[in-house]
Amino acid sequence: MKISINDLRFTYPAGVEALRGISLEINPGEQVAIVGQNGAGKTTLVRHFNGLLRPSSGSVWVGDWDTSKYSVAKLASRVGYVFQNPDEQLFSRDVLTEVAFGPKNLGYKKNKVDELVGCALALTELNDKTETNPYDLSPTWRKMVALASIIAMDTPIVIFDEPTTGQDAVNIARIANVIAEIKKEGKTVITITHDIDFCAENFERVIALSNGEVLLDGEAHDVLGREEILAKTYVDPPQLTRLGKALGLKETVINQEEFLNALK
Amino acid sequence: MRERLSFHIKRDSALHRLNPLTKLLLVLALILSAFLTPFYWTPHILAILVIPILSVIGRVGREYLSTAFRLILPAATFLFLMQAFFHPIGKEIIFAFYFLDMTLESLMFAFGNAMRIVVMVSAFTIFLLTTHPSELMSDLSRRGLPGQFAYVIISTLQILPQVQAKAQTIISAQRSRGLETEGGFFKRAGALIPLIGPLVFGSLVEVEERAIAIEARGFTSKHVKTSLHEIPDTPTDIFLRWFLTTLIAASIGLKLWLS
Amino acid sequence: MAFVNLQNVTYKYPLTKTPVLQNINLQVNEGEFVAVMGPNGAGKSTLCYALAGFVPHFFKGEISGSIEVDGKKSSESTLDEWVLNVGLAFQNPFNQISGAKYTVFEEIAFGLENIGVPREEMKDRVDEAMSLTGISDLADRSPYSLSGGQQQRVALTSILVMRPRLLVLDEPTSQMDPIGTREVFGVVRKMAEEGMTVVMVEHKVEWIAHFADRVIALKEGRVFLEGKPNDVLTSDLLVENGFGISRYTSAAREAKKQGLWKKDKLPVTLFEAAEGFKP
Repeated sequence: MKISINDLRFTYPAGVEALRGISLEINPGEQVAIVGQNGAGKTTLVRHFNGLLRPSSGSVWVGDWDTSKYSVAKLASRVGYVFQNPDEQLFSRDVLTEVAFGPKNLGYKKNKVDELVGCALALTELNDKTETNPYDLSPTWRKMVALASIIAMDTPIVIFDEPTTGQDAVNIARIANVIAEIKKEGKTVITITHDIDFCAENFERVIALSNGEVLLDGEAHDVLGREEILAKTYVDPPQLTRLGKALGLKETVINQEEFLNALK
Repeated sequence: MRERLSFHIKRDSALHRLNPLTKLLLVLALILSAFLTPFYWTPHILAILVIPILSVIGRVGREYLSTAFRLILPAATFLFLMQAFFHPIGKEIIFAFYFLDMTLESLMFAFGNAMRIVVMVSAFTIFLLTTHPSELMSDLSRRGLPGQFAYVIISTLQILPQVQAKAQTIISAQRSRGLETEGGFFKRAGALIPLIGPLVFGSLVEVEERAIAIEARGFTSKHVKTSLHEIPDTPTDIFLRWFLTTLIAASIGLKLWLS
Repeated sequence: MAFVNLQNVTYKYPLTKTPVLQNINLQVNEGEFVAVMGPNGAGKSTLCYALAGFVPHFFKGEISGSIEVDGKKSSESTLDEWVLNVGLAFQNPFNQISGAKYTVFEEIAFGLENIGVPREEMKDRVDEAMSLTGISDLADRSPYSLSGGQQQRVALTSILVMRPRLLVLDEPTSQMDPIGTREVFGVVRKMAEEGMTVVMVEHKVEWIAHFADRVIALKEGRVFLEGKPNDVLTSDLLVENGFGISRYTSAAREAKKQGLWKKDKLPVTLFEAAEGFKP
């Protein structure tokens, strides 16, 4: 399902203009990372995709729906949104109920709900924790429950807000795996992240925002090599990209495979 | 994002320039005279005349009016109706509505009580609008109130807007999971459960972490605290405090003497 | 005698079954910048709380062994005295806002008010600390209106302004943008050069390698590895034990197998990698 954003502007009630004319298209099945400094407007932008925020002017379309005409609960059938802090999301007495909450809200039949929940739990490696109260889990696993509870909604578009913040290497690998798997199902994945190496390794397209405008948008390769422009929004290129530059490699490399190939 | 997280409005007025304790005594005096007075019309005069004048002196008239209309009047009206119909005093029914009866006595009684509530909430509102909470805190602890106690008062003043902001985020997270929050009463009541869990759990973590954070910044230090802002305390304040204390003592005295 | 000295520290929270810290021995010299890393649940935050006096003074629980900072024993001190020497900032910036202040400037002054710093000196110190961490332009904003990354800078500044002898930081950059993170590491390094002792929990390996003097890798409540950044961060043991490593290290390790990396020592920083890969 396609997302079309046309000259989107948004001003907070306090008067801060957070988005200043953004036009973008995100195609079905794309893997998009949104990067940029604190306060660049990343969260403000993606909150328009599921209707949590309404444009001050311009429009956002998800498929054939104009988001300003649909409730958040309706849009939830098309756009899943994993919040940064799982503690703002989890409330059920056990993991199973928690993960089933979203699909039930969307009105799926019982056996469909069971199936979706089962897949989501397997994908997030929570199979052995279904009876546990989410609050008895470590923050790392709570994050996985939050992921599962959105993935189980089986939406064509999934948004992750800072999925790797405060996570250790093992869990970051788990999250990368989840993203790769839902990509295989043909879903659109949109992720806000400060972790630029994670971005380079898992996303095809990168959008860099700065002061509420699109600074760069394109294939990860093209965007992540533009050191000077990225610096304007407080982002460094990935480690291996910088190394490639330091070694004077002709092409921009963004991950280990490309780097090693370029060396040969 | 919210810029304003408390009622306080930074302006220069005679009320703003008063010492926080003086203002606190003023609030107390207003409330006690409204509740303890033997004269029926006292709360009404306070609510209709004194409070608005105070809000004008404090240059927060407009903000006070907006709070009064949005919050204070509806609450007072509700209280008034409840008591006017259900308080079992008086015999002569002046108004009936199905099984609900209102007598002149219950009407008077309800009206007086509603006005007392108006005075109480209004006095606090004007106090909050014109007093910087950290000044209040510094001033109270300077006067020997234990720091923890002062902190509890101050952070409580800030807690409502914070809880509200947090609740908003949680609601957003749940709506993103397809929770319908618009619609009939039952739908909305049902929507409360997914809200309360995270709010309560979040608050527990928050309380512990905040305690650590302020402790790490010397909160329980035995040093004499200082204050970033100079806190006004003029001869006018001292005079006013004497006056208000006398007034408070008089209301209490009168009440005791008459009872 | 080391400035920070932990001897056989074992600690269990009141409600947990197994100790979170097990037989920790740790010495840190004055002015040294030590980074602590480890998988979730390794005991990093608990170690921070122990250094900052909250374990056991605040959390209670069972502790054995001794914690000494600047020759004073934690067990013989009270928390309110201890925090004058040891400053702590932790991960969640929102919960570190005092809730009693309206502007960032007032928020940062809060600690100085508590310890009775005179007004004029207080203003100077707040100004100085804010310019050090690059948040002078936020002085009049409400701390609640800031982004997570900005709030983290405020939390750090609020502790720096107290001028602790030992600075304990638990993932202070988790919500910051990449260059902001690097800047904060730079500020911390500078404080260490000026004589402040720093213990900082972080996942960001590249900047640990670049800025820290020493690395402690914790796992399951024990010191797993300890040493110079280059030695610890290139150890083969890290990946298999759930620790993060830099992309330079992992690329060079792979390159070594293919004969593209010729040195014995693997790189951790951009500089080391560029040196080693140069034809």
